[in-house]
Amino acid sequence: MRNKPSLNSKSVNGIKTNILWHRRLGLSTFVVLIFLAISGFALNHSPGLKLNQINLSSNWLLTWYGFEVPVAEGFHVGEKWFYQDGNKALLVDGNSVASCTAPLSAVAQTTDGIFALCADGLKLLTSDGQLVEQFGAIDGLPANTQSVTVFDNRIYLTIGSTTIASETMEFNANTLGLTVADVAPQTLKDTQQTATPLPKFLQKKLKEQSPGPSISLETVILDLHSGRFFGQFGVLFIDLIGLLVCILSITGLVAWIKRR
Amino acid sequence: MLKKLYRAALVTTAAAFFAVTSLASFSVNAKGVYQSGPDFFAEVFAPLQAEAKVLWLTPEIRAQAAAIVDRPVRGLRIRYHQSNKKTAWILEEIGKEMPITIGVVVEDDVIQQVKILAYRESRGGEVRYPAYTAQYNGAALQEDYRLNQNIDGITGATLSVWAVNKVAALALYYHAVVNQSSTTNQP
Repeated sequence: MRNKPSLNSKSVNGIKTNILWHRRLGLSTFVVLIFLAISGFALNHSPGLKLNQINLSSNWLLTWYGFEVPVAEGFHVGEKWFYQDGNKALLVDGNSVASCTAPLSAVAQTTDGIFALCADGLKLLTSDGQLVEQFGAIDGLPANTQSVTVFDNRIYLTIGSTTIASETMEFNANTLGLTVADVAPQTLKDTQQTATPLPKFLQKKLKEQSPGPSISLETVILDLHSGRFFGQFGVLFIDLIGLLVCILSITGLVAWIKRR
Repeated sequence: MLKKLYRAALVTTAAAFFAVTSLASFSVNAKGVYQSGPDFFAEVFAPLQAEAKVLWLTPEIRAQAAAIVDRPVRGLRIRYHQSNKKTAWILEEIGKEMPITIGVVVEDDVIQQVKILAYRESRGGEVRYPAYTAQYNGAALQEDYRLNQNIDGITGATLSVWAVNKVAALALYYHAVVNQSSTTNQP
């Protein structure tokens, strides 16, 4: 009968050290490995799982990805909220009333109606927010019109310039005529209403109507899988995990060979 | 020697290609404002000065206008200029994504002139050429509120052509409305 060759103490120590490190590496990487396996599986079956059709738009995620999350602001005039939807519409309490290219610079009210200044022109509205007509650049609205203000029930436009001081013009809503006004721009600025954050219910409604930027779940999983989600350090971490997996394989193989 | 010739030919071909593509893109890109509203009215009625008027859109007018342009019509009033039986309108209609501002002059219930005042789309700006807009001269409104003249389209500018067709029909309709109301208001 042939006896098995006995292992010397050096070999035994070597195997023990190898197994110890194999165990340590396995314990320190198994959580990440399981995550990588699941995320890899999800990415492999992304079309079937329709991950690219699931859009995420939470504020923290958009901020994390470097999107500028616009603060939903509007003008509270005559018990109504006037705001722009981030697309091309002027909304009054959630209802689209006119086209409006961003930004919505100012909203002012006289006893006759409401005046909203968008980048593409001045919108003349009734007191209940219905569009009467638009006064755009082609109709004679001066370029660089910065704001519309109502002072003493008269409508004034402030026309700004980078080279010369701002000037003010009085606007006649019936004739759409403009005349030079003798009111100082600063006086109008003091009376001008500023945009304030929309109430929460309108913010929610706005998000439903105009969802804005979003990121697909597939992109997020892919970035988590590759480590890019956490920037350069995340990528290096996944590189390190890859290296540890290589070492884990080698230590496992060595342990198996030495035990035979 | 041959190598030099080959290189020179290559450079010349590249330069020619660049020049041709630049010119082509310049001709296609027709974005811009060509004439302001006040200038258009002044030109149309010169040497006279037309009266600036307002047409209030009643629910009936709005409904018919919406049927003509195939979309809801916003706004409670439309401005126009009138001198005797001649009216001039500035109306907007979206071509593909951006509004086209179109001036239409109507006299004796037929179109006298169509002019593109502002074109904001990146393609399809060929509708601004007088050779195209001249097709509308003399067009009238049929009973079904369509133009009684065939308008030849432009390849690559179909949506812009449709937009101009709609505006031309709408201006004729508005002209008919204001003339009808002025006739009925007469003693």
